[in-house]
Amino acid sequence: MKFFRVAIGVVFALLVTAAAYAREIPRAANPVQVEIFENVPAVSQLNPNGEPTEKYTEPAFAFVHIPTKYSGNALPLDRSTPFILRASLERSFAAGEHQFRLRARGAAWFQIDGKTLLSTKPQKPNRSGDDPVPPPVVRNSRLRPAPYPHQDAVAVTNLDGRPHRFTLIAVIGGNGLVPSPGELCVGVGPVGQVEQLLGPDTAPHLTDDEWNSYSADSLRRHKAVDALRRRSAGSAAAMAWNARHEKIRQWVLAQPAPKIADVSSAMPVLNEIDRFVGARLEKAGAKPAPLTNDLEFLRRLSLDTTGVIPTAAEIRAYLADSPASRRARAIDRLLASPAWSDHWVSYWQDVLAENPGILKPDLNNTGPFRWWLHQSFADNLPMDRMVAELLQMEGSVARGAPAGFAQATLNDSPMAAKADIIFQAFQAEKLACARCHDAPFHPYTQKDLFSIAAMLQGKPVKLPVASTVPIVEGARKPLVEISLKAGDIIHPQFPFEDRLANTADLDIPGIGGIPTRSELARRILSPANNRFAEVIVNRIWKRYMGVGLVEPVDDWSAAVSSHPELLRYLARELLLSGYDLKHIARLIFSSHAYQRRPVSEMTAQTAPDARLFSGPARRRMTAEQLLDSLHLSAGKHVASEELNLNPSGDRPPTEFLNLGAPERAWEFTALSNERDRPALALPMAQSAVDVLTTYGWRQSRQNPVTNRDDAPSPMQTLILANGNMSARIVRLSDDSQFTELAWKSNSLTALLNETYLRVFSRPPSSEEMRLLRRYLQPAYSGRRLRNVPRNTAALETDKRVSWSNHLSPEATVIRLEEERRLRLGEAPTQRLSARFRERFEDVIWAMFNSPEFLVIP
Amino acid sequence: MKKNDWTRRELLQAGAGVALAVANGRPGSMFAHASDGPVRLRGKADACIFLWLGGGAAHIDTFDPKARGDGKKKPGSYYDSIDTAINGARVCEHLRLTAPLLDRCVLIRSLTHDIVSEHAAAANLLHSGRRPSGTIIYPSIGSIVSHQLGTKTDEVPAYVVMGYPNITRDPGFLGARYGYVYLTQIETGPNGLVRPPDIDDTRQQRREGLLDALRKNFLSRHSGDQVVQSQISVSEQGFRMAGPKFLNVFDLKRETSTLREAYGGEFGQRCLLARRLVQAGVRFIEVSFNLNFLNGTGWDTHNEGQLKQHLLIRDLDQALSTLLLDLERNRLLDTTLVVVATEFGRPPEFDGGGGRGHHSRAFGGLLAGGSLRSGRVIGVTDDLGKNVVERPVSIPDFHATIHAALGIDPSRNLYAGNRPVPITDRGRPIAELFAT
Repeated sequence: MKFFRVAIGVVFALLVTAAAYAREIPRAANPVQVEIFENVPAVSQLNPNGEPTEKYTEPAFAFVHIPTKYSGNALPLDRSTPFILRASLERSFAAGEHQFRLRARGAAWFQIDGKTLLSTKPQKPNRSGDDPVPPPVVRNSRLRPAPYPHQDAVAVTNLDGRPHRFTLIAVIGGNGLVPSPGELCVGVGPVGQVEQLLGPDTAPHLTDDEWNSYSADSLRRHKAVDALRRRSAGSAAAMAWNARHEKIRQWVLAQPAPKIADVSSAMPVLNEIDRFVGARLEKAGAKPAPLTNDLEFLRRLSLDTTGVIPTAAEIRAYLADSPASRRARAIDRLLASPAWSDHWVSYWQDVLAENPGILKPDLNNTGPFRWWLHQSFADNLPMDRMVAELLQMEGSVARGAPAGFAQATLNDSPMAAKADIIFQAFQAEKLACARCHDAPFHPYTQKDLFSIAAMLQGKPVKLPVASTVPIVEGARKPLVEISLKAGDIIHPQFPFEDRLANTADLDIPGIGGIPTRSELARRILSPANNRFAEVIVNRIWKRYMGVGLVEPVDDWSAAVSSHPELLRYLARELLLSGYDLKHIARLIFSSHAYQRRPVSEMTAQTAPDARLFSGPARRRMTAEQLLDSLHLSAGKHVASEELNLNPSGDRPPTEFLNLGAPERAWEFTALSNERDRPALALPMAQSAVDVLTTYGWRQSRQNPVTNRDDAPSPMQTLILANGNMSARIVRLSDDSQFTELAWKSNSLTALLNETYLRVFSRPPSSEEMRLLRRYLQPAYSGRRLRNVPRNTAALETDKRVSWSNHLSPEATVIRLEEERRLRLGEAPTQRLSARFRERFEDVIWAMFNSPEFLVIP
Repeated sequence: MKKNDWTRRELLQAGAGVALAVANGRPGSMFAHASDGPVRLRGKADACIFLWLGGGAAHIDTFDPKARGDGKKKPGSYYDSIDTAINGARVCEHLRLTAPLLDRCVLIRSLTHDIVSEHAAAANLLHSGRRPSGTIIYPSIGSIVSHQLGTKTDEVPAYVVMGYPNITRDPGFLGARYGYVYLTQIETGPNGLVRPPDIDDTRQQRREGLLDALRKNFLSRHSGDQVVQSQISVSEQGFRMAGPKFLNVFDLKRETSTLREAYGGEFGQRCLLARRLVQAGVRFIEVSFNLNFLNGTGWDTHNEGQLKQHLLIRDLDQALSTLLLDLERNRLLDTTLVVVATEFGRPPEFDGGGGRGHHSRAFGGLLAGGSLRSGRVIGVTDDLGKNVVERPVSIPDFHATIHAALGIDPSRNLYAGNRPVPITDRGRPIAELFAT
């Protein structure tokens, strides 16, 4: 016990140091002191009283991101709206005239020694879509033009060569406005020249290139610092969860260990999983499938851990490892990849019905809690903690905390919907039918569901009319039982007392919150509740093996396990590991069973006694894996506009959500153009959404789903063959890695080898090599066109179009023109001969459209 | 029937026979309808053109005119009204081409619902016939029609949308097979079916030749694998689809310039394309009308959008009248149901900018063709069009009427898993429109 305390102390000390470090990056690098003040009355904005709620430093007077505020649970919180940013720097400039430029979206003041030199006006919230489209940017120098609706205020002043205090005070957000700084900055320079950002002498200039580079760096830096701050803010919570896990471990170890099945020495065994699977194979007289080869294994493992295929470089590094150790090392490396969280977000978006809307969300929309999902998997939070946080539904809705899970816009009983989601996800109990009447095929009454809904609400709920079955006078009696009527009051009360005891001894660490939510969490997460652990490990098993040990994965009412001891073993491992998903994943990946060739006859419909796992089931890529792998293969970034119909920031964030510019498929969402207005279209995003929806991704997740409707269809073939997105992926533009490869290659054989590694994760067979050499050889030697510049023009989005002006005809013209240009595609490279380029594109097209790309090895 | 077993027929659309067999696995309806008398009302339409006036078209400025208002303080219609082919019924003066053709039409003046605040929610109601539940996602009327009727031929999709893809048009629990092919601009053609502009026939052939070789190679290495096999066969079928015969339907240059001019602007051209799609065998064509060009707001005439609303109405007038006559000339009107729908109407009062807000307690829709007993008005609203005083028609009733006109029983059950979901939520077709 003493050791435990010392260990805790050391850990705490480390975390506190990390927290301190996170707050103050060394002064020399970051001379600008920044303070954030909240809840400042309007009259005191220029001189905010009281303590700042945040203090940090920046390299220069450019503010593209404000540090996120975190709760003690590491959940993002809202700041007051508005809040005040005050930045200051003391330095001297050479004596003489200097020009200062203040650029801000809203009210801001720039002062020298406390005297205001420059100021900008407050931003006005917009009320309708009728504003005119602002005039196009006129560029008359290298200065980056102020993007609408930023204002520039410029003045020249004489400095005396001595040190002075430079201060910026800015009002960020406000009623009806988005609380983001936009491109808030101050520049300084010689009169009539492009300014540098106010900061050290080496600060970047206010040109497009330097700003874009600085801004991208700044966002990356802030993201990393946010992660540190988040972990340090949640460090006490993390310790409390560790303590809980330690208790659970002791409790599990105190019970008799499960018997591991016996197998003969003929059965290949890499870990305990193989004993359980092997025992059933032997009993059935069946043989295990042979192992996949190393490259097939790597492709499958990459897709299962990171959601994308491996890069050519990764394949080469893998092959450079010794054969005996390369698979284990790949498992280690891929489990540590940050993309682990990208791949998990998609799964839980479906299961938890994450459904944000970017335009006045009123179709069963939730908040964007995808970001909480992402950060939780990035921090490798234990699963029980994630469930507890989900049920407590706290934090900032707009910033994607679990509070967004509580929402279901225009739903007459959001908590009844959430009760159903929670029980399907974590208990494999389908309460959905009990929404409107007693469930006909399951042992739940409507009162059961609404009692849980009331627990989630924290108070009694009234049965809404729309959650009832109409009884028509004189009509035939319905076949379902109806025990409640509209208007009935149902109290918070756990209805399944016999099944999930209220174990008060193992508390759920948490801060405040609604007690009945914590009670529900306690019951579900009690280690005595085998169901939870088994449901989770079964979900993970299905994810990687293609079929669950229990099917269907989200409804166990009639289900029978194919391998009950294996299920219990894995559930126990989950508890012992502190609910660590990576531990279970590692066990599965390291087993011989996972590493075998797939067996296409085994599906979710296979009866439990025939589900032997002689190999994993044969799977195809999901929509997200397909989109992300296509882009990775070509080396192109996902092309999309920012998913933000209010770039001018002058409408309330509750009405218009900014989901950012997606880099991975999970970041997309429905594009909400129910109004059919071209000015509200996002054509590049639409190209990606078209592919995703055709391949079974849901753009509107109003209800929880574990198994998507994604059976192969001809429309899938067509959208991949003809759609805008794939035309772009195939096009040998100057930003395609294939263009570089073709240019730099020393031989056609080498080019084809590299292309095959990138696309199929394997070298070509001799037959394939012959076919493709024949197709490309005639054009290959003349392919390089020298002294031709790169074409760097990307497909641009005109950012002047915003909700506030979308009704103007000009906005419509702009977007329709963007749609047409998108159809024509990106300009192809001029550095390769058209003859070779077209043929090489044909080859890439055929490879991407081959079933081999999509079918997981 | 195995899920992956696609025949040519099922290319983009489920075969009607199979779909009905699955949908009607359980006999009878769980919830009896008082309206289900011994005679089932059914029309003769086998295709539907659904003209969508997105934004909420003011009923008193179009098909249900009232006394003149002044655009400021005095509520009322913004335009004068004219006589029509329906005795006693008048319409807005800007509908002068459609007015004499109203004997082929049914004016429904008494649509009513209570979602007035938000376009997406109201549009969702008008497309799916229900409010969203959160337990399942209800399919759009286009998906239901394509599910119930299937395709006429196996070379065309059953459901086409000329507008932006959005949730209100989606197939919901019916599944992706009952989704739609869409186009947002006529020149670019249906998304996914048309090759990128730089790929001509020769290049496409070369590409498909390479793909074929790669496919064969892959199959030879996985010959026993059912998943691989189904993926390959679906891939092959996809390329046989989207042939020139279907794509030529989208080529409006095959029509005379006289006819194209008669139809008018972009919306009219879409209506012309809709007629061609009906001829090609498509079952349900939604034509959306909401390009902001003409008046800024489209039909959502808040504030200054009101000022040029007449341009929209004239565009509608030109397109609708030409469509009706064109269908008639081609002997298609009796078997094609034309629907004009919008998500809500607008109040008689004017807002601060001289436009109108939203109003859903009373508003209008129009039906034509399908051998309905036309030339009549259903429902009456009060003197300013604010309330229904006679014969209210709910949205489920409106849908039930459309389904009945297409020969679909609106009380039949669809199935979301094993949960029965009637096609409409207790909707009753407007009996007067059907010959007994």
